[in-house]
Amino acid sequence: MLSVDVIASSLASGFLLGGILALIALGLSVALGVMRLVNLAHGELLICGAYLSSFLMAATGMDPLAGLLVVGAVMALVALPLQRLLIAPLAGKGMEAPMMTMFGLSIIVQNLLQLAFSADTRTLEAPYTARPVSLGPITVPQVYLIGFVLSVLIVGAVHLLVAHTSFGRALRASSADQEAAAVMGVDVRKVHAWTFALGAACAAMGGVLIGTAFSFTPSTGGSYLLISFAIVVLGGVGHILGTLVAGVAMGLLQSVGAVVFGDGYRDLVGLVLFLLVLALRPEGIARAGKTG
Amino acid sequence: MTTNTMMTTRCRLLAAAVLGLAASSAALAADEVLIGASLPLSGPLAGFGAYQKWGYETAVKDANKAGGITVDGKKRPVRLVVRDDKTDPNVTASNTESLLSRDKVVAMLGSCTPALVNAGALVAERRKVPLVTGCNPLQAFKSVRKWHYAWSIFFDEPDLASAPFRMMADLGLATNKKIAILADNGPDGAVVGGKLWPESAKAGGYEVVQNTAFPVDTQQFTAMVAQAKASGAEIVLVDAIPPQAIAMRKQMAAAGFMPKLLVMEKGAEPEFFAQATGTLADGVLVGGYWDPSFPYPGAAELAKRFETETRQTQSQHIADSHAAAQVLLDAIAAASSLDREKINAAIARTDKTYVVGPVKFDAANASAIPITLMQWQGGKSVVVWPKDRANGKLIFPLRESR
Repeated sequence: MLSVDVIASSLASGFLLGGILALIALGLSVALGVMRLVNLAHGELLICGAYLSSFLMAATGMDPLAGLLVVGAVMALVALPLQRLLIAPLAGKGMEAPMMTMFGLSIIVQNLLQLAFSADTRTLEAPYTARPVSLGPITVPQVYLIGFVLSVLIVGAVHLLVAHTSFGRALRASSADQEAAAVMGVDVRKVHAWTFALGAACAAMGGVLIGTAFSFTPSTGGSYLLISFAIVVLGGVGHILGTLVAGVAMGLLQSVGAVVFGDGYRDLVGLVLFLLVLALRPEGIARAGKTG
Repeated sequence: MTTNTMMTTRCRLLAAAVLGLAASSAALAADEVLIGASLPLSGPLAGFGAYQKWGYETAVKDANKAGGITVDGKKRPVRLVVRDDKTDPNVTASNTESLLSRDKVVAMLGSCTPALVNAGALVAERRKVPLVTGCNPLQAFKSVRKWHYAWSIFFDEPDLASAPFRMMADLGLATNKKIAILADNGPDGAVVGGKLWPESAKAGGYEVVQNTAFPVDTQQFTAMVAQAKASGAEIVLVDAIPPQAIAMRKQMAAAGFMPKLLVMEKGAEPEFFAQATGTLADGVLVGGYWDPSFPYPGAAELAKRFETETRQTQSQHIADSHAAAQVLLDAIAAASSLDREKINAAIARTDKTYVVGPVKFDAANASAIPITLMQWQGGKSVVVWPKDRANGKLIFPLRESR
């Protein structure tokens, strides 16, 4: 029989981790909502963020969280030409071709990471990664708390960007109806390029948080891709605040799964829920098709 | 000569050249002794695969430096064909199939961990091809089937599982005797965590306050760590692969859980465990079976050679893989034939001390390497038990991370 402390700490950890999961899923959700892109390389973009942070730490001694925005910016700049080169030429050719292109890219990136950094397991080391925070009977890893706050701030910033800027208006218009948006003077190609860059930046920043809390190898990305898809469906495709709510819900439900069945069954509970939502409410918790 | 005739002549010349090349490479292949290995060069176990590849290749390189192996009265060079199994047993099986059918290897060297080794060994067994492995715990190896063509040189799980208990008794370590066991549900994790550790604990008068199994791809251990902490366990025994062991060690510290004794089998073994966890590695114990300081022929030299060539710290896997390859090469030389049955019979007769220690197979095709306990201390792996092999003093209890 588990004690109240264990249950409360596990649920609190799940809640906080859910925020990080939401940030990870956000990039996938935006790309899917605006570009109709099933980005199967999303996990690799995430892991690239962790490796980039590891490289930055080794080269400059910069704390991984202090370098979070740098990693996001670099990944966005890398993603821009990638989108122009690989995805833009496939515009209007259905969802399959870009999806398979991203699948190919994921394998290439995994192999490149392995060549560059070996297949050894790594982690991003910082003092707060091994410290607990206690509040009454609840004890959670400090890094989860920091990760949650940062994730919520980033998700909030993306929401403001999409809801209150001209880029956001163009993005929402492209998401609703690409042809109509183009007729109204929106440069859809440009919007797609920056949307992909935004998604890559979010994934990479999520990767840094994952790297500080857990461990990573070149092939770790796949497991986060699956759970990200579940969160996107749960939150509604392209719905930013829905993604945050779904991420937190997923984290909590995973923790319920861990408390009831053991840590090994976290993903099982999450994915069963994913299938249930898909069957009962395909549009997700929030209304689908409405980016913002 | 018409254009058509010229074309036909050119085509014939080209065909002749191609056939000639094929014939000469076939002749070269016929002169070589071909050995195959499917190794985890990518995926979660890539850390082990890199050491194994070096061990196998070094043994082959040494054999070739000595002029090769005498087969049918003629010295022949040895060629090792390595394929990456991506830490996937299905790929190990298909790689083994390809190495036997396409590359026509005469014998195989094994992958690492039961899931991978057994997958390849089952294919080799079916095809009646000898396979020698140095990275498959013996109980997990023996439990699969009665082997005729697969041979394992490694530690025995009961020896490994009882080692922490024997060490605590030998050194008189004071704890509250409460144990938490956290083990993956892979073949060896299930044997060690599910059966052998509880048995050893019971025999030693310890109380198992928690025993949790988890799948091999889990990264979040928050609930089980919180449970272990709440149970008041002062001894934690973990059996997990490196990515999990690293994540779990961080999460234990992040939960403020500091047992007195922490053993992390498998996962704490590669050097990158210490690199990734930094000071959190200090004091973590892992079962070991080899150190360059052990009195076996070529032990110190092998480690020095590895470190010079790769600029990395040695691992015990260079010894088991080197020994496995040497056992196979010696057997081929003793058989003086490429006949697989004769090679297999020669492997069975092995009775020699190699770099990893004495090798002599029992009726179940297994040769046990005695267990030691190693502990990470300041980024270095130190043998702390048994006393007659220790080259360092045990850190006890586990210290707070700096």
